[in-house]
Amino acid sequence: MLSIKNLEAGYGKVQVLHGISMEVPKGKVVTLIGSNGAGKTTTMRAVSGMIKPTSGEISLHGKRVDGLESYAIAKQGLAHSPEGRRVFATMTVTDNLILGAFPRLTGSRPKGDVPGDLERAMDLFPRLKERRNQLAGTLSGGEQQMLAMARAVMLNPEIVLLDEPSMGLAPILVEEVFRIIGDLKARGVTMLLVEQFAAAALKVADYGYVLENGRISVHGEASKLRDDPAVKAAYLGGGH
Amino acid sequence: MNRKTLIAAVLGLALLAAAPLLTSNPYYVHMIGTIMIYAILLYGLDIVVGYTGQVSLGHSGLFGVGSYTAGVLFLKLGAPLWLIIPASIVVTAGFGALLALPALRVTGPYLAMVTLAFGTIIQILINEMNFLTEGPLGIKIPKPSIAGHKLSEHEFYWLTFALMVLSLVVVHRILKSQLGRAFEALRGSPVASDCMGVSVYRYKVYAFVISAGFAGLAGCLYAYSEQYISPNTYNFELTVLFLLAVIMGGRKTRSGALLGAAIIVILPKLLDDLEMFRVVASGLAVLMFIGAVVGIAKKMTTPKAMAIPVVGTIALAGFSFWLQSITDWRLSIFGLMILFVVYYLQDGIVGFARSLFARKSNADTRIASVSGKDAVMVAAHAGAGETGTDLLVATGVLMQFGGLKAINQVDLRIKRGTIHGLIGPNGSGKSTMMNVLTGIYVPTAGSIEFAGSSVVGRTSSDIALSGIARTFQNVQLFGEMTALQNIQVGLHHTFNSNFVDVSLHTPRFNREESAATERGLGLLDFVGLGDLAFEEARNLPYGKQRLLEIARALALDPQLLLLDEPAAGLTAPDIKELVAIIRKIRDHGITVILIEHHMDVVMQLCDTVSVLDFGQKIAEGKPAEVQANEKVIEAYLGGTVA
Repeated sequence: MLSIKNLEAGYGKVQVLHGISMEVPKGKVVTLIGSNGAGKTTTMRAVSGMIKPTSGEISLHGKRVDGLESYAIAKQGLAHSPEGRRVFATMTVTDNLILGAFPRLTGSRPKGDVPGDLERAMDLFPRLKERRNQLAGTLSGGEQQMLAMARAVMLNPEIVLLDEPSMGLAPILVEEVFRIIGDLKARGVTMLLVEQFAAAALKVADYGYVLENGRISVHGEASKLRDDPAVKAAYLGGGH
Repeated sequence: MNRKTLIAAVLGLALLAAAPLLTSNPYYVHMIGTIMIYAILLYGLDIVVGYTGQVSLGHSGLFGVGSYTAGVLFLKLGAPLWLIIPASIVVTAGFGALLALPALRVTGPYLAMVTLAFGTIIQILINEMNFLTEGPLGIKIPKPSIAGHKLSEHEFYWLTFALMVLSLVVVHRILKSQLGRAFEALRGSPVASDCMGVSVYRYKVYAFVISAGFAGLAGCLYAYSEQYISPNTYNFELTVLFLLAVIMGGRKTRSGALLGAAIIVILPKLLDDLEMFRVVASGLAVLMFIGAVVGIAKKMTTPKAMAIPVVGTIALAGFSFWLQSITDWRLSIFGLMILFVVYYLQDGIVGFARSLFARKSNADTRIASVSGKDAVMVAAHAGAGETGTDLLVATGVLMQFGGLKAINQVDLRIKRGTIHGLIGPNGSGKSTMMNVLTGIYVPTAGSIEFAGSSVVGRTSSDIALSGIARTFQNVQLFGEMTALQNIQVGLHHTFNSNFVDVSLHTPRFNREESAATERGLGLLDFVGLGDLAFEEARNLPYGKQRLLEIARALALDPQLLLLDEPAAGLTAPDIKELVAIIRKIRDHGITVILIEHHMDVVMQLCDTVSVLDFGQKIAEGKPAEVQANEKVIEAYLGGTVA
């Protein structure tokens, strides 16, 4: 599905990624683990076209997408739920979700059943259903986080990039988020996941990559990484 | 400023000073004089546009006020130069304060409209107030005299030069001081500025007043330089040219202002002459080509992105040789060139050149004397009072937005020297509570006593200065400033130097500035960011940004520190580090209110925990008690702790 080869990227003169390669097969959940500043978010941003890679290849079902603009990559079926709450603050929850389906409405993605998907997205996040007519900017931080995630799903994407979906959520909602990721996985959605709760991420994921200073240090089956003593010590920490 | 730039600047200025000796043509001397006069205005305009990020379309009006203050004082009173210059500055600065008033209420396009109206009104007033300004007839002013000696064209040039250099030094010093940092902070995040004790209100006014002062000086010199002023000069086009000059030259640089001034003065004149235009267009094409090659070689840009500008400039050069006469095309070409620069060089010409030749390292600015003493110790001294007594008492706090009660009758009692947790589901009112405590919202009802006095109704900056510091749920750093500068904004309260101290670099200012640098570096070390002092805040990874926010908050010497989800988005090892830092902060005697969703962090750190749900307090007590509370489990924790 998604294939990354020798990706290098950064901001201005600061190079963050020093040649990383990874694969996200169809229908699988792959998680990216690493400490702050390792380059997880940068990888996500490069894949979705928010920053331009300086070298390397990114392809989505065999087609090169590196160098394309974000909207063009979205049309290929890649949805990005970015880190931090990037919702359209002055629009209602419903409108935010419908905008997520924008390429479907303009005909650059198969249309499918947009109203039906809207209902299903609301069912997935009951909190959003209650507030469907509220302006997104008036939602609490956690609700905005859910909205960003629900909006990504509205693209009916081939692959979803989730950057810290549980950030700033109450414990009860963190469970909820992981339940939703599990649901999406069961529906066959391919996902690339970056999560602060690395242990929980490795539980839901099939495969994992560990990023260190912009390079991949270890990768393997999620279950194996979970038992890897080095990974445990460095990233899994206290009891998550 | 490092050695190389200093040498370049001195050489450039020396050349500028010698210009009248190099040419006998008074036309050129006058032209360079005009460039320097515009540059003075642009230094000031850059404070408003480049640093505080406000748009002003009123600066031609201010320029006019400066000119007419000089003109009227000379015409009516025959006042001498030494009186007219300060008077022009002071009067125009007054008008600048007037112009600042709308800037306090409106921003963006609205501010642009209001300042535009201001400029237009000034022009109309000059036109209409015949009794004072001679109206459309204008005023004639001879070159000024000093001690009975009437200045020649050249002598006036040197006077302008001296004042330009003086302005350059003063502006540069202001912008490199706590005042400049405050201006930049306003642009980065107004809400964070207020919460660092830097009143957005006050510093916006300062910025406009200082900026207007320079516009006044420029206007005054312009009147003498032209020897005739009339209302038509100070029109909308001039104001747009000023803005363009700042943008084209490069905002936040003094050399950019000079270059911008040169462009708006020289370029239209060059376009008068076809031969000259051919030379300029060819030169531009060559420069662009070289720039593109260097850019691509340094991997800063792609051939694709450079194709259009390179082809465009070469086409322009070709066009210039095809043209028979330039008069009809003059303005269109000028417009095209401007469009081109603004579109492709968004950091301006100086900004672009800098990014081409920039060195990564900041080694030359590195200050060796990182203080060994723990910078937070200073903060601890502020926290006088006994551990265990009440530091903050909130009673019956009600915060209503329309029909929604975001906080409903909440009581909080925070004991000195403790870490008080505030937890609850998303949307339960925790962040709203923070905003009420720091004055961003004024509560609908209820009282909040901090260290014995009420904070209700006081401004955020006032509350911050009285000892409550905070971090933000969605990080609010000053992105374009370095890590150290971010902290120095927090240390703003340690400065007593005024405008004069800053301009003259008095011992007081030097002492305060180096103390702020020392303490800033100390605070960075405290949170483990010592190596990143000169990195721009926006380039730091997320977790480090959160730590920087904490260090900046500590710079306020707070008695109470509010942390809004400091561990959000951090991985396990970062969290461990964070927990250790928060403990150290508490051990230094600073009381902490902690909003956090990571229950293990809350359990490890907090002495007391309050739980909010739907704006109401549903539980309070020791962490373990709260964790076992049925209501809390149902509303917040869920079955298993994540």
